[in-house]
Amino acid sequence: MPFNARITMPAEARAGDIIEIRVLTRHPMDRGGQSDGKGGTVPRMILNRLTATYSGEQVFRLDMNTGISANPFVSFTTRAVASGDIVFEWREDGGATYTRTARLVVT
Amino acid sequence: MRWRAVLALTVIALAAAPATAEIKSGSEFLSPEMRRQQADETRNPAWFWVEQGEELFSRKPQTGAACISCHAEPKQSLRGAATHYPQVDAASGKLLNLEGRIEQCRIERQKQPGFGYETPEMLAMTAYVASLSRGLPVEVKTDGAAKPYYEAGKAFFERRQGQLNLSCQQCHDGMVGQKLRGDTISYGAGTGYPAYRLEWNDVGSLHRRLRACSLGVRATQFDYGSPEYLALELFLAGRAKGLPVETPGIRR
Repeated sequence: MPFNARITMPAEARAGDIIEIRVLTRHPMDRGGQSDGKGGTVPRMILNRLTATYSGEQVFRLDMNTGISANPFVSFTTRAVASGDIVFEWREDGGATYTRTARLVVT
Repeated sequence: MRWRAVLALTVIALAAAPATAEIKSGSEFLSPEMRRQQADETRNPAWFWVEQGEELFSRKPQTGAACISCHAEPKQSLRGAATHYPQVDAASGKLLNLEGRIEQCRIERQKQPGFGYETPEMLAMTAYVASLSRGLPVEVKTDGAAKPYYEAGKAFFERRQGQLNLSCQQCHDGMVGQKLRGDTISYGAGTGYPAYRLEWNDVGSLHRRLRACSLGVRATQFDYGSPEYLALELFLAGRAKGLPVETPGIRR
């Protein structure tokens, strides 16, 4: 199970409320550079970007580098405007992407 | 001559280690921020392992039964199970910890290849099963059939070993609360394990932690699941009797 995510945010909010979104991710965030035993080095394999898109608009972006620990945690806030999905997308070195979606109901 | 006096005083200080006072959990020695992180499921990464264990627990292997087909309703049926480990296996008379019991069940009852100690699957399973006892006091048996193992663990704890010629007791009874490098010395209660250690960036078993301790005093590192560490685990659990299980814990 190399990737997993735990997203914690309120399921409901009133329009105009500031909501906190917490994202905990399972990933080894291997910075690479170790010997691979065959004369080469192990390539870097980290999540290099996390974006959150709320109702089609990007509300948060985090560019990550090798200084970020394994299993990173980040929390951020956004303003509840309308009911919709918040789509979280991680971009991994090598081009793989992982996506999670959370629904926010605005009353 | 002054260094001799200092040395003599140090030796006296080490020898005068107080008899086991009230044992405190390892989390008492963490910063308040880390204690909050341990308690907060939204921020404690060790819950990923618990989640994985829960999934493994109900996954049916290609042949044989899933864990959950015997241990139905694990949240009730296995609540408190982990507090009794390590325990003596009635059939073989051997001391088994939680890892040993899960492996035994998997090989003998499920007829599956064993996970192996310290594999991600075993860590996930032990973290999950131990997490079902979260908050319940440790209740290991240290008398009867377990007595020889407990005595062996106690002897291990008190025996000087390694190039630094230190016993576990000298630090984990005598120097508790003082600093060792950047960390605070604790009583060595393993109630948070398998725990997420920041040093590892990963979840690891108590035996992995014990191996790190052995390396620290430049003593022999025993194998995962070795009789020496099993006996020591029983002794530590006996010392920690009454402390709540904290798995999945966070440790430095």
